[in-house]
Amino acid sequence: MRTDEEFISVRDVHLAFGSRPVYKGLACRLRKGGIHLLLGGSGTGKSTLLRMIGGLQQPDSGEICVSGHLMSGLREKDLGAIRKEIGMLFQNGALLDSMTVFENVGLPLREHTRKSAAEIAARVGEVIAAVGLEDVNGLLPRELSGGMLRRVAFARAIVMKPEILLCDEPFSGLDPLNVTRIENLLMQLNRDLGLTIVVTSHHMASSLRMADQMILLRDGVCITGTPEELAASADEGVTTFLGEDGRAYLARLHELRETSDSSGVPSDNTSGTAGVRA
Amino acid sequence: MIAAIGRLGAQVTTLVEGLGRVTRFGVLLCKSMLQPPTRFRFFLHALYDAGVLSVALICLSGFTVGMVFGLQLSTTLARFGASEGLGDIVGLSFVRELGPVIAGLLLTGRAGSAMTAEIGAMKATEQLDGLRMMAIDPVHFVAMPRALALTLSMPLLNALFIVFAFAGAYSVGVTIQGLDGGVYQTGLEGAVNFFEDVGQSLLKSLVFGMLLGLVATYKGYTCDPDAAGVARATTSTVVTASVAILLSDYMITALWGV
Repeated sequence: MRTDEEFISVRDVHLAFGSRPVYKGLACRLRKGGIHLLLGGSGTGKSTLLRMIGGLQQPDSGEICVSGHLMSGLREKDLGAIRKEIGMLFQNGALLDSMTVFENVGLPLREHTRKSAAEIAARVGEVIAAVGLEDVNGLLPRELSGGMLRRVAFARAIVMKPEILLCDEPFSGLDPLNVTRIENLLMQLNRDLGLTIVVTSHHMASSLRMADQMILLRDGVCITGTPEELAASADEGVTTFLGEDGRAYLARLHELRETSDSSGVPSDNTSGTAGVRA
Repeated sequence: MIAAIGRLGAQVTTLVEGLGRVTRFGVLLCKSMLQPPTRFRFFLHALYDAGVLSVALICLSGFTVGMVFGLQLSTTLARFGASEGLGDIVGLSFVRELGPVIAGLLLTGRAGSAMTAEIGAMKATEQLDGLRMMAIDPVHFVAMPRALALTLSMPLLNALFIVFAFAGAYSVGVTIQGLDGGVYQTGLEGAVNFFEDVGQSLLKSLVFGMLLGLVATYKGYTCDPDAAGVARATTSTVVTASVAILLSDYMITALWGV
């Protein structure tokens, strides 16, 4: 049964790579229209969970439901219909290296819509401008820097206006200006289009500013809650992962949010959190 | 003893499983050829990479193999006073066997391995997963145009190889060894039958092209997604496709009739 509170649900998922177990009964629910932050140390399965939500990886047992569709056991053709509603930003961009930036970003539109060449060009120009790039349309991926490449990949992930956006380390390799740009863009997409966003990131400040829900992966299971709930948590796993700085940051963030809510200042005003360290 | 039988059984099972997977991939390739869109642009690009860029290698190889063949044969035949048989033997050897087989092996090394490496690198850098997440079938988008290009370029390259081999044998047999050009040409024309020999040659090269296309794309598509995996897949393509070409050559020759 699909509800907005259970837009994406992970139920009792087990997965092992060889003899190494990654998930041991992982379970969580992701609300529609929320920004969900996946946290955890290296090798805890953050990227794998994104791949499972996208149907690229099947669990050994358990269920993944996305927008009411059970992802496990579906044929590629059926998964394709669901994936049209999902945009995914891969860790290394995954741009097609034989195609130009314009061709890469416009590819989903050419494949799945009946838009004219002019309409495609306009939409591609719009998303490329939104990620802060210009004059890159004719370049090949190998001619871009790492940060530019990730922004082009981000543009491709949102060009179809998906319902769900899966972002694997969206801020890595970006300068502070572009971190803020992508962060604001994500929050704008979430606010304006009601996009459900799932993010893995080690860029704690940006991630925590955005997140409605945090999912901390640890020892094959997860601990979920709002940033405030995790800041207040006495769970040893949470306190160890966040550390003193992280908990202080979350507490400060909570105060700022409450202040901005009462004063009417938009809560995505990043300058309001300047100087706060994660 | 029981352990050895167990290992043998496991190897046979693995082999049969592997054959099943290749066959299934081949069925997917065939089905994707019938699905729109045609991917004509990607097909042309692959045809250029696999076919056009192999022309120089094929022509040079054909000419030099023909020269060696001409030299060896004209010397040997002269000992038996049968020099006028050069055209017949060159014609039949290259059209029936050497043309398709050598062109097939050359294309395996030149284009098949490169195709595996390219698809393998796409897999290692998550480009194939990226396509899946855009609801684009990677078999249809990446593998099908490349396999088709290899299949169709093989008969054309085979024909080129044979023509240049004829020229190579002529250049040595007639120009250097002094055989009469008319005798060489008459022998060649008389020995080669269009349906029996040229037909067999084209069929063989088409089958070799299909096998190479299937092996090269399958190996790239299923390789381990890291540098070592791509390297292993590339080597495996050369070995598997070469063995497949030689085995199928024997089978077609035996079935067609010598």
